Amino acid sequence: MIAGDTIHLAIRNLRQAKLRTALTTMGVAIGIASLAGMVSLGVGLQEQLVGRFLDSGLFDVITVMPQTSPIARAFGGRMAGGRRDRGPATPPATGGAPEPAARPLDDAAISALRALQDVKDASPTIVVPVQVTYGTVSEFTAARGVPLSSADESAFRTPKYGAFFANDTDHACLLILDLAKRLTTGDPKDLIGHDLTISYASTSADGSPLGFGMPTLVKQVQAAYRIVGIVEREPGPGGGIAGPGLSGVMLPLSQARAIDDTVVTGVQQLIHPSGAAKVFTAVTVRVKRAQSTKDVEDRIKAMGFSAFSISDALDQAKRAFVLLDILLSLIGSIALAVSSLGIVNTMVMSILERTREIGIMKAIGGSDADIRRIFLVEASAIGVLGGITGVALGWAVGRVINFGANWYIESQGGATGNLFSLPLWLVSGAIAFSWLVSLAAGVYPATRAAKLDPIQALRHD
Amino acid sequence: MSVPDHILEARSLARHYRMGETTVKALDGVSMTVAAGEFLALIGTSGSGKSTLLNLMAGLDRPTGGSLMAFGQNLAELSSPDMSLYRRQRVGIIFQSFNLISTMTAADNVALSMMFAGVPRADRDTRAQQLLDVVGLGPRSTHRPKELSGGEQQRVAIARALANAPSLLLADEPTGNLDSRTSRDIMARLKAINEQDGKTIVMVTHDAALAAQYAHRTLTMLDGAIVSETLS
Repeated sequence: MIAGDTIHLAIRNLRQAKLRTALTTMGVAIGIASLAGMVSLGVGLQEQLVGRFLDSGLFDVITVMPQTSPIARAFGGRMAGGRRDRGPATPPATGGAPEPAARPLDDAAISALRALQDVKDASPTIVVPVQVTYGTVSEFTAARGVPLSSADESAFRTPKYGAFFANDTDHACLLILDLAKRLTTGDPKDLIGHDLTISYASTSADGSPLGFGMPTLVKQVQAAYRIVGIVEREPGPGGGIAGPGLSGVMLPLSQARAIDDTVVTGVQQLIHPSGAAKVFTAVTVRVKRAQSTKDVEDRIKAMGFSAFSISDALDQAKRAFVLLDILLSLIGSIALAVSSLGIVNTMVMSILERTREIGIMKAIGGSDADIRRIFLVEASAIGVLGGITGVALGWAVGRVINFGANWYIESQGGATGNLFSLPLWLVSGAIAFSWLVSLAAGVYPATRAAKLDPIQALRHD
Repeated sequence: MSVPDHILEARSLARHYRMGETTVKALDGVSMTVAAGEFLALIGTSGSGKSTLLNLMAGLDRPTGGSLMAFGQNLAELSSPDMSLYRRQRVGIIFQSFNLISTMTAADNVALSMMFAGVPRADRDTRAQQLLDVVGLGPRSTHRPKELSGGEQQRVAIARALANAPSLLLADEPTGNLDSRTSRDIMARLKAINEQDGKTIVMVTHDAALAAQYAHRTLTMLDGAIVSETLS
């Protein structure tokens, strides 16, 4: 029997019982819709979350430290570092795997990092302790240098109020919302455009003596910085060993570096004034795409630095999503399992109805294999048709839920997005799965039909 | 007389059914032959085993004892796929109740057996039309069985039985559901097929007069055995 004839005959049989075929197909469609919808939800959530992670500026960032950094060594090079360490370079750790020669993290190193492929920018991590004063309120906090290249990080792209730095040379600052609320009793928004006084202890010549018996070469320096924007929280991991969240104010990187050059943070510094070239404790490298983070990290390590990123954490999150996907598809499969029983039921009914017809077909030369194939093709047709309808149904329901969810999220002031994602692999996979399940459901009825005794079947009414 | 060319030969053929504790001997030690080109009638009361014998000849059933040689192969030993091949190539079957597929047109019913034989659609449609023309139903080829009279349906069934050009035609009470006038028409057609096309025909009937009128030879069966043979 020619394959085309088998398909033709199977479709003719399905058309004979239009209502039953339609109902069974709808059952499969609902099963596939629930399965595809669930997986689609898992994929959509993953895309949303990973997308937000990537957007957060956490995953395209590599923290680079000298191998000699006691912090880097203490944490096996896996912790972000930022504490000031201006002491002489300690020899590389002995023992363990041979590593590239340690390099100091100076301006030359930053240029080298910046020149790496896929690297967007490399900037030293500079965090200085400062006192900020607005009106009569004073707070001790940390000021962090932010390179202009960070303008596209989501926190800076859409600050809570105001805007990002216009250039690197202005005496401008961004406030963290928390600090801004402490500085004013009014609306933090009104701080925008006002000056903030930043003071710090400095070895620089200009400035006023501190008093309190401190050596006279330490001066108190005050400068006014215009508040240009307020952000919700400090983005990225670049906050130093203290971690993000502790710095309350952000300055353009060159401003922060200028302060950093003279700021006094410890007595040690006064006893051993550093005459050597400026060495940084940590450099933040931003890569162009989060996908290349791991790659760039490895190359930085090969250059002789310690490097750390949290792209590993992203991988783990993705693994967690695989589990979520499996769980969601199991839930979705329940409906499909029910509908596959529907197929079995329909096919068995169909055999009962067509017993005589099967007998005739066998009597005039149809083989067992022919009969089995006709029924398997019928089951397949239900599966493929149900699969296509189901994917369309799942998509439509997903759009509706998505619309409703986004409407709610928007009303709550959240960021909207696609909760359901239906990539091509899911569409084709769902239809293929529907076909396979239907085929499996058709095996028993088809075998039963093929095994019918022709004489008994011909006597059947 | 020359050695008859037997296309069928049954030796001690038995078909026993187990019905609970008892064994029903539908066919019990039948030995007979069918010669090529012969028109043979099997008569007997219901339950005499004539239909059982026909079903065995048709390859629809398997013997439980003895042997049934058909075209040089023992039907008792054929595998299931070979059995369907035998049904498809060697025999055409005509039933009392026509057994047409009600949802198919006359032409599609005729073409169906060719479909199982793997004949391409265009070829089988052409041949189906030719066969319907031969039985006088050419203009009615697109009609479904319920739009046809009993005689017409049986003519469609005859056309279908001839579709794969078998050399043996098996008819189980072909006129059992027909009035006498239509019966004569069907019998005349079968006789023509036997005489003009040279097809061997084995017909089961309970009508001894009909058998005597059309068949060359009549075997009378009783309780699963052949009790007499009549030449006409």
